[in-house]
Amino acid sequence: MTVPAPTASFARGVKLGMPVFLGYMALGAAFGLMAVSAGFSVLQATACSALVIAGAGQYLAIRMIPAGDLAATLLATGVVNMRYLLFSATMAPYLRGVPRWHQGLLAFTLTDETFAINAADARAGRADRFSMLGVGAISWLGWTLGTLTGSLAGSAIGDPKSWGVEFALPAMFIALLIGQLTGRREILAAGLAAVVALALSLVVPRDWALVAAAVVVATVLTAVR
Amino acid sequence: MDPTLVWGLIAGMAITNIVVRAMPIAVMSRFELPETVRRWLSYVPVSVMAAMVALEVVKPGDRWQITLANPYLLAAIPTALVYRFTRSFLGATVAGIASFLAFRYLLG
Repeated sequence: MTVPAPTASFARGVKLGMPVFLGYMALGAAFGLMAVSAGFSVLQATACSALVIAGAGQYLAIRMIPAGDLAATLLATGVVNMRYLLFSATMAPYLRGVPRWHQGLLAFTLTDETFAINAADARAGRADRFSMLGVGAISWLGWTLGTLTGSLAGSAIGDPKSWGVEFALPAMFIALLIGQLTGRREILAAGLAAVVALALSLVVPRDWALVAAAVVVATVLTAVR
Repeated sequence: MDPTLVWGLIAGMAITNIVVRAMPIAVMSRFELPETVRRWLSYVPVSVMAAMVALEVVKPGDRWQITLANPYLLAAIPTALVYRFTRSFLGATVAGIASFLAFRYLLG
């Protein structure tokens, strides 16, 4: 097997990440709009997206920060982002021997969406560190550029929801899920996780339901083997 | 809003985010993980994706929509079929958005 050149791999990653770019442009624009109306400058809104890239955490932050309690806001957004401990751990076996700076960039661009793409691609044996970086780079660009657009344009861009882009990321997850259903164990895991997540979402917030479902399903299926 | 507060928030979030995301990779990529741990981790992606799809489609925007008049649920079907037969993420995403808009329009 030939190893693809870094630039070819990177380009392949960028292409894989295009649906994320589309979705993030829209979600980033929505964040930019909200941040500016919450009192952020265009620079602050854009810097926040460029440096933090945490969708749910950022939405939460701009709702909480006007009250002026920095510690409480940081605590809440930190809790929302605890799921990345699990995602990061899942990627670790694929990143053995990768230079520290490269691991750092991949960690920096780790989101629900880049995780889903890279984990699926890695399980299929196709991902390498450059394709993962391509996915991360195009996603970061979409989120940052979207935020800049939204914070500059303000309400002039209208409601991003009227373009149907709120289905971009669900559509991408559906495609990724179908691609992951390669055998009976995977189908079983998916079915269980869907049911457990929906059931748990009755009692805990959505992000917790997501993480808890993955932990429960992985533990049960590892134990019963 | 007070610029110090906003910049403090941005700096604080940037630091917590990179620490949470980088720590497990930095620590766990240094060792060959035991087989049981690797098997456990191998179930995480498919479980996360299934959980995410279930929540996005049945409970979009954190509101239950267990009804056939749910455009998210209906649009999931053509999206899955397009991916199944074309293996194109972008194709599936575009088909998903188009069918989502169509179903939303038809359902009023």
